[in-house]
Amino acid sequence: MNKTLNRRDFIKIMNATTGVAIVASGITLTTFASVSEIPVTNKKRWGLLINTNKLTETDIDGMINACKQEQGWGTEIHSTASQKPAWIKKLKVKDKATNKVSSLALMCQHCEEPPCVDVCPTNASMKREDGIVLVDKHLCIGCRYCMMACPYDARSFVHETLNNQKEHMPRGKGTVEACTMCVHKVDKDETPACVESVNSEAVIFGNLYDESSQINRTLRVIQSSQIRADLNLNTGVRYSGI
Amino acid sequence: MNRFLVVFLSLFVSSVFAYIDEYVNLGEQASSIKLSGKVFHKNPSIIRKMHPEFLRHKRDKTLRQGIRTNEYSLKGCVSCHANKNKINNQYYSVDKKGQFCSDCHKKVGVSFDCFSCHRTVPREDLL
Amino acid sequence: MSNIRFEQIEGKSLGFYTLIIGLGILILAALGSVYYVEHYGHFVTGMNNRIVWGMPHVFALFLIVAASGALNLASIYSVFNKKLYKPLSRLSGLVALSLLAGGLMVLVLDLGRIDRLIVAMTEYNFKSIFAWNIILYNGFFVVVAIYLWMMFERRMNKFSHKVGLVAFSWRLILTTGTGSIFGFLVARQAYDAVIMAPMFVIMSFSFGLASFILILMASYKWTNRPLGDIIVNRLRNLLGVFVAAVMYFVAVYHLGNLYLAENTGIENFILFDGGIYTKLFWYGQIILGGIVPIGLIYHPITKGDRSMLGLSSVLIIIGGFVQLYVIIIGGQAYPMELFPGKEVLEGYGDIAQYLVSLPEIFLGIGGIALAMIIVTFLVKFLAFLPESLEDDLADSYHKG
Ligand code: SF4
Ligand code: SF4
Repeated sequence: MNKTLNRRDFIKIMNATTGVAIVASGITLTTFASVSEIPVTNKKRWGLLINTNKLTETDIDGMINACKQEQGWGTEIHSTASQKPAWIKKLKVKDKATNKVSSLALMCQHCEEPPCVDVCPTNASMKREDGIVLVDKHLCIGCRYCMMACPYDARSFVHETLNNQKEHMPRGKGTVEACTMCVHKVDKDETPACVESVNSEAVIFGNLYDESSQINRTLRVIQSSQIRADLNLNTGVRYSGI
Repeated sequence: MNRFLVVFLSLFVSSVFAYIDEYVNLGEQASSIKLSGKVFHKNPSIIRKMHPEFLRHKRDKTLRQGIRTNEYSLKGCVSCHANKNKINNQYYSVDKKGQFCSDCHKKVGVSFDCFSCHRTVPREDLL
Repeated sequence: MSNIRFEQIEGKSLGFYTLIIGLGILILAALGSVYYVEHYGHFVTGMNNRIVWGMPHVFALFLIVAASGALNLASIYSVFNKKLYKPLSRLSGLVALSLLAGGLMVLVLDLGRIDRLIVAMTEYNFKSIFAWNIILYNGFFVVVAIYLWMMFERRMNKFSHKVGLVAFSWRLILTTGTGSIFGFLVARQAYDAVIMAPMFVIMSFSFGLASFILILMASYKWTNRPLGDIIVNRLRNLLGVFVAAVMYFVAVYHLGNLYLAENTGIENFILFDGGIYTKLFWYGQIILGGIVPIGLIYHPITKGDRSMLGLSSVLIIIGGFVQLYVIIIGGQAYPMELFPGKEVLEGYGDIAQYLVSLPEIFLGIGGIALAMIIVTFLVKFLAFLPESLEDDLADSYHKG
């Protein structure tokens, strides 16, 4: 992280001495709805709660489509089914004792102790202060060690050349990617695309730490679980009903 | 060795300066801004020299800290400096031959890697 | 003692040039496939999002593991002071370096973004065992190079024992590190075992020695230099012990896993109903790469036969590849346990399919070819090989 600091200082000096700045007078560039200028902090921890009792299979298909639309994956032409990215997938599980079948959406669980980050040799896999786990594709060398380490099969490798990516979601051949919890929307105080696509309360998004948030309040009263809780990764994505 | 480095660096920097005004293919929006007499980059030569640093700095802030201002945003560069094909009304990719980014980079002989991942044309709804 | 005469090989024969050209072609084929894969993307390979490490990694890991094992003979001489191995120590260092170079070439050239190699060398995540391995590999080159220099340079000879000790410890750490690449993957049932690291160390002994024996016998045969039975028999016995040790570790590893309730799934898969992986395990790894070589090495009829020793070495190497294939690919093919106590009906949980592609194989073979070409060139230009390893000479080193 030191390097970033140095760079920042450097730019500061550059700004002060030469007065380089974008003068946006009279020019309308891309305008953002709300602009976040302050670094995210660990006062927040973003999370999802997925209630499999309420979540229908159609909901899950809708979530997957919304994710594809928003982030631009799924249109790869050369990759085989098992090579295509899958940021979010539909799983059906049967309880061996009760025979109850539940369907759920599985994506990156945004672990608090993410194995993918621990193993990444170049710091490309990283966790933001607010708990969102991302791949810094500028640093990713495509070694796929993070894919070996992720317990949830959440990551995908881009197997072919891409173009016409979404402006907010750079993606490219030879690097690894996964669910970003729609970080570009979250930073604008919006909700992840998959959550928006579900009409019921089956999927809740919010700040796990905020005691007044719906997700926090719900988690306090209902039975919920983490997938592979035994690994102690303290995931940001929680499930109820399984 | 040091002398060699100095010579090399000054050649390198001067090659950046060499293209100040011959450069015609500024891109759609950038050209119209220039024509209207407005100033976008107060000091273009600094931008010319330093934009990799600015972009790199910005990228780390955005990606790692969630700071999403449009200062030094690559999206901004692309949306201003992209050209449109007059016939089919489609944008050319800025990294394609003859376009703003690639042309200049080619002239100064510096490779760049932004567009193996980043979108090369302005956003859909700007089309 | 100082009467071992190391000498370059002549390297002017037709055979020498044919060998160089042949290896060169293999390396070119590897580079060609790398260009092909990088240009189009990894969709042209058999690897996918479930089998993320494929054939290149089998080759790379084999070469890296064998590299550290090949250094053993030098270590036996300088650390344990067994003079018999002194004449072999230079070659041992050389084989170690070249195998490692070959392995790293394969590993690096399979990256998704080879062009960012500089990132891998400058951005370190010190929590990552992978990053540590990068340091260990680079360090190995340096340490072994210094070690070789100490051995070559007469006035430095006196330090060679100390440096040899460093090299020996370094190689142990290196192989442990390589094994830990897997050992740290807690989520994968196939790899989550402490025994993974020591098992890799033992594997390195056996694969490294087998490679070394082949190179030694080939170079002495092709250059018509005498190679006596004493040394060969020593190496043969050592090899037998190492292979048996690998078998022992494999048995402990699988038995241990069988008794660990959470890992019985993957164990049953590899041992009994894993289709190709089960077959490879039993026929390839155990029978071909273990039992047959042990038989050839110890059976009175084949015991004294040098070509049988060559055959055992080849089988051990093949068995080693198969073993790594089963560990790497088989371990990934079997799905991770996402919901203990539940059955995943849909969406995940099937056995992942992997169909190896030609570019992957070319790349892997290119790594072997690179290692071989380095050995071939260097024994021509530097005095790595003793002029003779005749019995009486060997005997005198032994006593001296
Ligand atoms: S789910 Fe996988 S990819 Fe996501 S943070 Fe956890 S380990 Fe990393
Ligand atoms: S593939 Fe990229 S993100 Fe994953 S471990 Fe390797 S460098 Fe890190």
